[in-house]
Amino acid sequence: MNVGYQFDPIQKEEITHTQLVRYAGASGDFNPLHTVVPFAEEAGLGGVIAHGMLIMGFIGQAIGEWVSVDDLAKFSVRFKAITKPGEKITVRGKVIDDKDGCWVCEAEAVNEGGEVKVKGIFEVRK
Amino acid sequence: MNKSLQELIGKELDTFTFRVETGKIREYAEAIGDLREEYVNGEKILPTFPTVIEYWGGGYLAWYSLGLDKQKVLHGEQEYEYIGKIKPGDTITVHSIVEDAYTKSTMNFIILKKEYFNGTGQLVLRSRSTIVERH
Repeated sequence: MNVGYQFDPIQKEEITHTQLVRYAGASGDFNPLHTVVPFAEEAGLGGVIAHGMLIMGFIGQAIGEWVSVDDLAKFSVRFKAITKPGEKITVRGKVIDDKDGCWVCEAEAVNEGGEVKVKGIFEVRK
Repeated sequence: MNKSLQELIGKELDTFTFRVETGKIREYAEAIGDLREEYVNGEKILPTFPTVIEYWGGGYLAWYSLGLDKQKVLHGEQEYEYIGKIKPGDTITVHSIVEDAYTKSTMNFIILKKEYFNGTGQLVLRSRSTIVERH
């Protein structure tokens, strides 16, 4: 690995309502904005939105494919845009720095139109 | 700066505990579609598994005690520092504190710091969540 190295992107399948229900149960985040369509419509969202942590989870999956999660020292994200069922997310990433015995990498989750949903930085011990 | 918001800084929230079960790891991995063998077998936790500890441990109840308007709250940022290992079977205890709270443009920002300790009292993970409340 070296600074500038680009990881192979991972392509996730289309997000479904069922996946959001499963994620709600698995994570314990039962905020109805993610699962109850009338509630989310009333909130002015035009339907349910994915849990931000699900999209962070997609980036976590990519990290597990790119490096060993045992070496993961830090992982932080900023939630930039909402994601809805029907969208397909791709996670891409690259190495941006070599600092204090760690590779510093960035990753982003984007939809098919290139809209950035979640932007992250992670550090991997060498 | 909103006075009541500033008063939140340094507020400690109720401690909670959660036992890391292998079936819960598998369920979480399947929900994401991250079917790495060691996750499905419940041998290792996923990088974002601490969110399960937080929600199923009851830590989200803290949001109510902060007096936030649930309808207007968003998760702005999330950070994990992996200090030790969280292993299946561990009982994790989480201490939370409001690290910072401020208003910027028309939104309130609250930074919640959580420290996760294993059964032997070792600090294994530090989490920072930025909660955004729209006005």
